Amino acid sequence: MEENRSNSAGGVGGMVLCALIGFVGVLVVGWVIFPKLLYSQKTQPIRFSHTIHSQLGIDCEQCHHLGPDGRFSGLPTTESCAECHGEETGDASPNGKEIDKFVKEYAKTGVQIPWLVYQYQPDNVFFSHAAHKGFECTKCHLDVAKMDNPPAYHENRLSGYSKDTMKMWECERCHASMGTSNACYVCHK
Amino acid sequence: MGLDRRAFLGLVAGGAVGTMFTPIPWKLIDDAAIWTQNWSWIPKVPKGQIDYVTTSSKLCPAGEGLKIMRVAGNPVTAGGNPEHPLSQGGVSALARSEVYMLYSPARIKSPLKKSGKTFSPITWEQALLEMADKLGAAKGSVACVSGDGTGTVNEVLSAFVGKLGSVGYFMMPSEATTAAKAMKLMGAQGQAGYDFENADTVLVLGADIFETWGTSTRNRKAFGAKRPVGAKPASNYIYVGPTRNNTAAVCDQWIPATATDLGVVALGIAWHLLKGGATSTAPGFDTFKAVVNGGFGPEDVKRATGIAPEVLAGVAKALASAKAPLVVAGSPFGQGLGAGPFIAGMSLNLLLGRLNRPGGVYALPELATVVPGALSRAAMLDGDLPAFLKGVATGHTPAPKALLVYDANPAYGLPETATMAKALEKIPFKVSFASFMDETAAMCDLILPNSLPLERYDDVATPYGSGFCLYSLVRPIQKPVYDTKTSADVILTLAKKLSVDLKFDSFLQVLKEKVVTLGKASGGFIAKGIMPWQVAAGKPAPAMVGADLWKVLESGYAWTMVGPVTQNGMGFAPELLAKAVKPAKVPSSVVTLVPYAQLRTGTPMTGIPCQDLTTVPETELVAETTFVRLNSETAKALGLKKGATVKLSGAGVDCKAKVHIFESVMTGVVSAPLGFGHTAFDLFSKDKGANYLSLMALAEEPGSGMSVWTASEVKIA
Repeated sequence: MEENRSNSAGGVGGMVLCALIGFVGVLVVGWVIFPKLLYSQKTQPIRFSHTIHSQLGIDCEQCHHLGPDGRFSGLPTTESCAECHGEETGDASPNGKEIDKFVKEYAKTGVQIPWLVYQYQPDNVFFSHAAHKGFECTKCHLDVAKMDNPPAYHENRLSGYSKDTMKMWECERCHASMGTSNACYVCHK
Repeated sequence: MGLDRRAFLGLVAGGAVGTMFTPIPWKLIDDAAIWTQNWSWIPKVPKGQIDYVTTSSKLCPAGEGLKIMRVAGNPVTAGGNPEHPLSQGGVSALARSEVYMLYSPARIKSPLKKSGKTFSPITWEQALLEMADKLGAAKGSVACVSGDGTGTVNEVLSAFVGKLGSVGYFMMPSEATTAAKAMKLMGAQGQAGYDFENADTVLVLGADIFETWGTSTRNRKAFGAKRPVGAKPASNYIYVGPTRNNTAAVCDQWIPATATDLGVVALGIAWHLLKGGATSTAPGFDTFKAVVNGGFGPEDVKRATGIAPEVLAGVAKALASAKAPLVVAGSPFGQGLGAGPFIAGMSLNLLLGRLNRPGGVYALPELATVVPGALSRAAMLDGDLPAFLKGVATGHTPAPKALLVYDANPAYGLPETATMAKALEKIPFKVSFASFMDETAAMCDLILPNSLPLERYDDVATPYGSGFCLYSLVRPIQKPVYDTKTSADVILTLAKKLSVDLKFDSFLQVLKEKVVTLGKASGGFIAKGIMPWQVAAGKPAPAMVGADLWKVLESGYAWTMVGPVTQNGMGFAPELLAKAVKPAKVPSSVVTLVPYAQLRTGTPMTGIPCQDLTTVPETELVAETTFVRLNSETAKALGLKKGATVKLSGAGVDCKAKVHIFESVMTGVVSAPLGFGHTAFDLFSKDKGANYLSLMALAEEPGSGMSVWTASEVKIA
C-alpha cells in the first residue's frame, strides 16, 4: 500500500515530466528530424557558378530572358552553354574539371543538362513571368547570382516538388496585397 | 525508475499535444493532397526550351501551313502559320491534330503481315522481300489507290505502278476528281482555282467551302477579311444547298435546294442572266442558250425545286450587278458530285465573264512532273474508283492481281461501302501504306506503315480550290515515334529491287528536283509580304532572284504563281448539260439522304482525332449512336419524334440512328454526319455510330458516265 501511494504521488509528477519529455521530444522530431526525413537532398548535375559568370559581365537576361511573345526562356540550353564551352579545357582546377565534365557529358552528346529547378510550379498552374516582370527576381527566387556553388536541391519525398516551390497561399497573399485578382482562372487554366 | 502506465500515457499525451505544434500533421496532409494530384498516368507538361518550326499539313486536305510549337525539341501543339497563304494564321481542327495523332493508339507501329485473321510484326527487310516477290509475280496487273490529292508521292507511285504494268491509278473521289473530269468535258485545260479574296459576290452551289471543300482554311480567311467585325461587309455570299451547314450558316442568304437540283438551280439562274443580255464567245453558247431557254425557265425551276422565280431573279441580279462575282459548285459533303452541276455552275462564270479574271475562276497550270513515267495530275484524277471497284465486285471488271493503297481508305470512304469491301476481298494481294489501322489496312495482306507528316519529307502542291498555283514543303520535325518509313522511300527501294528505273534513290532527291523545276518556272514567286491574290489584283509580283528556294520553303514560306494556263476551246458542253441536268422529283414515300462532313471527325484515313472527339456535340453522337437531322415538317410527315431510334435503309444496307429535329434542314431531306461508324482504328473511332456513306447508292450520270452519289433515296422506319 505504501509503495502504491508513493507511486501514486510520484506518478503524477512523473506523468507530467514524461508528458513534458514527450512534448519536447516531438517538437525536436517535428522541427529538426522530420524535415530531414521528408526531403531528400540532391546536387545539381553541373556545379555552375553564377558568381564567376556575373563577374565576367554576363547579364542574367542573357541566359534567362523573356521571349518576344512574353514566354520565359527559363534555362539556357546545352547549345547556348556550348557557345562558350564547346571544347574541353584540360584545366585540372575544380572549375576546369567541371567545365570539362559539361563538355564531355552534354556539349559533345547534345544531351540537355537535367537541371534541378528550385521553383517549378505544378502543371496545373499557369505562371507567366511576363506578367511579373516588374518584380525583382529575388522576390521569389533564391539569390543564386551571389553564389559560387549552387545550393542543395531539397525534394519532397511525398509530393515530388522542390522545397522552394512557392505554395498557393504565398501567391494569393501577394496577389491580395497587390490588389490583383485571386480568381481561380488567373492561375489555373 | 521504470516507465509505468501513467508515465507512458503522459509521454504519449505530451507527444500528441506536441505534434500539433510541429509541421508533421499539417505538412503530411498537404503533401498527401499534392501526392494525389500526381498519379503516374497523368500526362506531364514538358519542360524545356520553347521554339517554333514550320511545315504544312498533310492530314488536312486544305493544306495549310503550320507553325508547330516544340518544347525541348518535342512538338506539343500545331497552329496556323501567319506567313502561309493557305493558313494566314488559321488552322482546321484536323490540321491542329497533327501533333496529337503522332501518339494515336491506332498508329501502326511496325510492318505487319497478315496471318489468318490477325497481323504479325515483321522487319522492313522481310516486308520488302515479300512485296518484291508478290509484285514481281503480279506484273501487268497492278492497281493503285491514292488519297493524297496534293503530293509528289503520286508521281513516284504512278511511275512505279505504270512500269510494273498498271491496270489503273485511282484517286479517292473528291471535289478535285469531279472538277478535273468536268473541266475535261468542257474542253478546258488546267485545274479550276477560285479567287475568293478578290470576289465581291459569291454564289456557292452545294460546296461546303468553309468546312470540307478545297482550301477551307484559306476560304474562311478570305471571307473574314472582307467582313471585319463591326464594319459593313464588303462581300455578299449566297449558299444554295439542302442544309444550313457551316458554310450556309454564315452566308448572307441560304436557298434550300437538294443536291440533285444544284444544276437545275444554276441553269435557272442562267436563264435570268441570258434574259438580261448575258452572252459569251465560248464554244457551244448558242446550244447552251437553247437548252436553258427550253427547260429551265422560272416556272420549270419552281416546279422542280420549289424555289420561287423572284428568288433566282434576285440571285441573278446580284451576280450581274457585282463587280467581281464568282460561282462555286461542289458537293455538300466533298464527294459524289457529277459533271453536270459543276459545268452548270461554271457556265455561270462563263456567262459573267469571270474566267481568268481577278475575283473569278482561274484555270491553273499543273506543276511539271519530275519522275520519269509519272502521270500528270489530270490523268490521275481521271479514274473512276467507285465504278472500277463495283465492276470488280460484280465480276464485270477483272480484279487486279495486286493493289497498292496509299493514304486512302476505300473500304470505308466510298458509297455502297459493302460493295467496295467485297471488291477489295477479290484482290489477291493488297498492300497498305497507312499510318493508322483503318478499315482497308485491316483487309490488306501487308501493311508498310507510313511515317506521319511531322516525321517525314513531303509536299503540298496546289490543293484543289486554291486560286493560285502553290507549292510548300512538309518536313520532319522529329524522328519517327515508331518503326515507320516514308512510303515514297519504300517504293523507291522496292523499285530498285524489281529493276524498275525511277531515276531517284530517295524521296528527298525527288522533292529537291521538284523545287529546282519550280525555280525555273517563269512567274513564280515567294509569298512573303505580298500574297498571290494581291498579285492577281494587279500588284507586281516580287522577283525571285538569287534565293535558295529549298531553304526558303523549309522556313515555311510558300512558292506561288498567279496566272492561267492557255485555253484551247473551253466551252459550255451543252449536250452534256442537256442530258445530265434534269429536273427530278423525289417520290413522297422516301426522303433524300444528304450527308455532311466535318473536319473535326477526321477523314477516312485518320479516323476521329482523339482530342477532337470531345468536341462532338450530343446532338450528333450519344454513346454509340449517331443522330440524323430532319426538320419538324419532315419528321411529322414520317411520324417521327425527337430522340426516336430509327432505321435508315438504302443500297441494301440498314443503319441505326436517333432523330434530331433541326430546322436548318430542308423539307424532305435527312442529313447525316459522316466520319462515324468505323470498324477499325481505336477506341476514339471504333463502334461510334454508323457510316451513312454505306447507304449511298451509286448512279451513272447521263452524258458523262461518271459515278454520282450526292443524294440517295432512303427509307426511314
